[in-house]
Amino acid sequence: MTETLNFALRVAMLIALYAFLAFAVVTLWRSVARPSSAENQAIPPITLTTDIDENPKEAVFVSAEVLLGREAHNDFTLEHPTVSSRHARLQYRQNQWWFEDLQSTNGSYLDNLRIEEPIVVKDGDTIYCGEVAIHIKIKPLS
Amino acid sequence: MPLLLPGILFLAFYTAALMLAPSVRQHLQQAQPDWQYLLPFFVWLAVSLVMQRRINRGMTNADPWVFPIVAVLSGWGVLTIWRLSPSLGAKQIMWYSFGCALMLIALNRRDFIGNLRRYKYLWLFLGLLLIGLTFFIGVNPADAGPKLWLRFFNFYLQPSEPLKLLMIIYLAAYFADQIRPQLSLMQTILPSLLLIILAGLLLVAQRDLGTASLFVALYALMLTVTTQRRRFIFILPGLGLLLAVAAYFASDLVRTRIDIWLNPWLETSGASYQLVQAQIAIAAGGLAGTGPGLGSPAFVPVAVSDFIFSAIAEEGGLLFTSAYMLLILILAIRGLSIAQNSKTSFGRYLAFGISAYYSLQSLFIIGGNLSLLPLTGVTMPFMSYGGSSLVTNLIAALLLLRISTEPSAFTLYEKGRKSYRWVAGAFILLFGVVLAANTALAYFRQRDLLARPENPRWAVYDRFSPRGQIFAQDGEILAATKGSSGAYTRQVVYPPLSNVIGYASPIYGQTGLETSLYDVLRGYAGTDYKELWWHERFFNQPLPGLDIRLNLDLILQQHADGLLNGHKGAIVLLNAATGEVYVLSTYPSFDANRLDGNWPELMARVDAPLLSRPTQGLYPLGSVGGLIALADQFTRLEPSQNLPEINNILDNDCRQAMAASARNDSRLALKYGCLDAVRGLVQADDPAAILEQARALGLFTAPGVAIQTAAPSQPADPSLDPAGFAQALADTKLSPLQLALMAAAVSNNGQLPSAQLVNAYRDPAGNWRPFEADAALPSQAMPAPAAQRIQDYLQTGNESLWFTTGQNSALAGDGLAWYLGGTTSAWHGTPLAVAVLLEEADSRLAQTIGYNLLTAPTRGLLP
Repeated sequence: MTETLNFALRVAMLIALYAFLAFAVVTLWRSVARPSSAENQAIPPITLTTDIDENPKEAVFVSAEVLLGREAHNDFTLEHPTVSSRHARLQYRQNQWWFEDLQSTNGSYLDNLRIEEPIVVKDGDTIYCGEVAIHIKIKPLS
Repeated sequence: MPLLLPGILFLAFYTAALMLAPSVRQHLQQAQPDWQYLLPFFVWLAVSLVMQRRINRGMTNADPWVFPIVAVLSGWGVLTIWRLSPSLGAKQIMWYSFGCALMLIALNRRDFIGNLRRYKYLWLFLGLLLIGLTFFIGVNPADAGPKLWLRFFNFYLQPSEPLKLLMIIYLAAYFADQIRPQLSLMQTILPSLLLIILAGLLLVAQRDLGTASLFVALYALMLTVTTQRRRFIFILPGLGLLLAVAAYFASDLVRTRIDIWLNPWLETSGASYQLVQAQIAIAAGGLAGTGPGLGSPAFVPVAVSDFIFSAIAEEGGLLFTSAYMLLILILAIRGLSIAQNSKTSFGRYLAFGISAYYSLQSLFIIGGNLSLLPLTGVTMPFMSYGGSSLVTNLIAALLLLRISTEPSAFTLYEKGRKSYRWVAGAFILLFGVVLAANTALAYFRQRDLLARPENPRWAVYDRFSPRGQIFAQDGEILAATKGSSGAYTRQVVYPPLSNVIGYASPIYGQTGLETSLYDVLRGYAGTDYKELWWHERFFNQPLPGLDIRLNLDLILQQHADGLLNGHKGAIVLLNAATGEVYVLSTYPSFDANRLDGNWPELMARVDAPLLSRPTQGLYPLGSVGGLIALADQFTRLEPSQNLPEINNILDNDCRQAMAASARNDSRLALKYGCLDAVRGLVQADDPAAILEQARALGLFTAPGVAIQTAAPSQPADPSLDPAGFAQALADTKLSPLQLALMAAAVSNNGQLPSAQLVNAYRDPAGNWRPFEADAALPSQAMPAPAAQRIQDYLQTGNESLWFTTGQNSALAGDGLAWYLGGTTSAWHGTPLAVAVLLEEADSRLAQTIGYNLLTAPTRGLLP
C-alpha cells in the first residue's frame, strides 16, 4: 500500500517536473519565434542617396535592418575617413524607420544635433555620418 | 506564481516521496512518514513565494522564467542535500534564504547595475584580495585538502565562488568601456588578459584548478562575443588542451586527475574510487531512477557537493538529470536573450557572461561526474552543497533579472545577434554531448556497470530483503537470514562449513555458495520476471531470495570434520553413481560469523584458513598417479594378461602405509603408492595413452560444480623421457574433488559422474524443485571391465571396498598423503567414493580416515 502510494507520488513528481519544463520551453520558443514574425511584416522601401567626393551613390532597401559603415560588410558602404568601420544602422520597428548610431568615433547628426539614442527618420531627412550626408526617401506602403 | 506552480508541485511530490521512502524500504504495513522533510520544503516555499511576489510587484518587465527556474533548482538541491545529510541540508536552506534576502535588498536599489560598472576595479580587487587571504588564513572545512576557504565564526566562505561573478562583472564593464574601433585587438584585450592571468595564477597556486580552467573558458567566450571574432571560440579548446598538457607534467594533482580519468578502472579502490562509484551510481539510476530515498547515493564520497549529479542520477535517473540539464540550458538561453535585448552594452556582456557561467560550470561538473572530462571540483549551479556557491548563483540570477528590466526598444543588429545565437547553439550542442554520455552510462552500459565487483549495492539489498536459506540434505539449516527488513543479518549455523557456504559481507565481499548461487539465493533466478521487475520498481530491492538444499549430509560432515580436526587437509565424500557430494571437509577452517575481529589474522595466517581445500586446494598427484596408469593398462590388457613386471622397492612412506601387511609384492607396492613401483608402471606405459586416460577422468578440466574451483592444471609434456614424464605426472596438481571423482569412476563401473553439490531450490510457491546443474552427464572414463579389475586389484581383504594411498615424491618438497577409495560392485547400498588429502606425510592416518568414512554407513551414518 505504502509502496503503491510512493510510486504514484514518484510518477506525479516526474509529470510535474516535465510540465514545468514544457511550460518553460513553450514560452521560450514563443519568445524566440516572435521577432521573426515581426520581420515578416511588410516594410516600406527606404532609399539612401549620398555623394562622396562626387561619386553619387543610391540604394533601396526593404530589409528590416540596414548597416552603414566604412567597411565592405556593411549594407550601405561609405568610403570616407570620418566614417567608422561600423558606423550606424537603420531599423524598421513599430511601423517606423529608426536610425541608431553604433558608438561611432565621429558621431551622426540630424539637423546639426548629435544622435545619442535611436531616433525616428522620415521621408526627406538628411543625416550626417561623420562628414558624409545621406538623403533619405521613404516610399509609403500602398 | 502560475509559472512557479508546476515547480512547487514537483518539489511537493518529491518531498512526499522522500517522506515515505524509509517505510517503503522496510516494507512497513503502516506507513511512518519521515516528517523532517516538511521543514526544508515549507521554508523553501515561503521564501520562494515571497521572492516571486516581490519580483512581480517591484520589477516591471522582469524575465518571468529566471526566478522560477532558479527557485526550483535550489529547492531541488536543498532536498537532495537534506536526503544525504540533514545537517548540511539545514545549512543549505539557510543559505538559500540568505541569498534571497540579499536579492531582495538589491532588487530595487537604484543604479545597482551602474555602480557595478563604475567600480569594476574595486570589485575585482576585493575578489582577488579574498583569494589572496586564503594563502595566509585559509582553512578547509574537512581539515584536509586545499585550503580554499575563509572562516568567519562557524561559516565558511570560498572566495573563488564570488570571484567568478566579480570577474564576469569586471570583464563586462571593461569590454563595454574599452571597445573602440581605433584600437588594435591586442591593445583592446591586453589589460584584461593580464588581470585574468593574475587571477589564474592565484587560483593555480591555491590548487583550485577547476575554477582556473573555468576562468579561461569564460574569458574566451566573453572575448568571442565582445570583439565579435569567432576565432576565440576555436582558440579556446586548443588553449585548454595546451594548458592541460602543461599542467599534466607540472603538477602531481593534475597528473593523478587525468590518469584516473583516462583509466578509471585501474585503481578502483584507490584514486579513482569516486569516479568509478559515480559511474556505478549513475548506472544504478538507469532511466527513471531508484526513487527518492530508495537508492544508495552515499556510496559516492562527497555526494553532497562535487558528486551531487550522481546522487540525482541514482535516485531520479536519466529523467532527472536531463531535466536538470534542460533547465540550466533554458536559463542560459533566457540569459542570452536578456543579453540581446539589453539597453546597454554592459548589460549585454554581463548577462552573456552569467549565462556562460551557469552553462560552463554545469558542463564542467557533469562532464566530470560522467568521466567525460577530468574531474574539476567546481560546483553544480544551484544544486551542490555550499553557501558561497549558492549565494553567488542567486546574486547572478538577480543581475539577470535587473538587466531584463531595462530592455532596449531595438533589437540588436544582425551581426551582433549572430554571435549570441552561435554561443547558444554551442551550449545546446555541448549539453547534447553530455546527455549522450549520460545515456551511455545509464542505459547502454548499465548492465555491465552494475555487474562490476566494485558495485556494493547487493549488501544493501541483503539488509532490506532476505537472502534464501541454505539447508543440508537432511533438512538441517546451514545458513540463515535473521532479523527484519533494514537489519537483516546472515548467519552460518554450522560454522565449520564456512569455507563451502562462504560469507556475504559488505566489507569483505562474497565467497563460496553465497556468491556462486547468488542469483538463486538473492531471488534473481527462479522467480517470476515480471514480479521481480515491479518489485524492483517499487522498492529498489530484489524479491526475497529462494532457499537452497544441498546434497551435503550434516551428520557425515560433522563426523568427517571430527576425523580431520587438527590435521591440515581435505576430505571429499561422494555418491559414486550420482556424484552427489555428501562431505566437503577442510582443515583449518574459519567462522564466517566472526570475520570482523579476525580478518587481519585470517589473511595473515600461512595455513590459509580461508581456502576451501577440497575444491580450491591444488596438490601434487604424487603416487596416486599410479591409478591412472592402472586404468590405462587394464583397458588395454586382455582379461588373461597381467601387468608388466615392475620394480617393487619399498620406500619408507609406503612401508609405513603398508604397516602390518608389509610384504614385497608389486600389487601391494602399487596399492600403497610406493614411489618406485608407480614410477615403474608409468614408465612401462605410453605417455600419450596415460594423458588420454587422465583427460577422460576429467583431471584437466575444472569439475562442473556449483562452487568456485581451482583452475585446472595443464597435462604433463608427453615428449619427455620416461623418467621425466613420470616425475611431471607426479607433479601435476589436482584438487581433492577431482580425485574423488576419479575414485567414483572406479567404483561406478568406469562411469565418471559429475559433482552435484546442490540438490534443489524452493520456488516462490514453496515447492522444492530439482536444481538444474550445469554439469555434464556421466561419461565413460574407462571400460567397465577395467574398472572391475582395478576394484579387484585394490580390494581390501574380503570387504566390498577398494582403496589406494599415495605420497609425494621426496623431490617435490612438502610431504603429503592421499587416500582414494570406494565401494566395489559387490556393495549393497549407496555406492561411495572418497578422497582424503593430508598436508603431512602420514598415509596411515589418511587410510584410517578414509576407511572410517567408507564404512560409516554400516555403522548407521547413512546418507
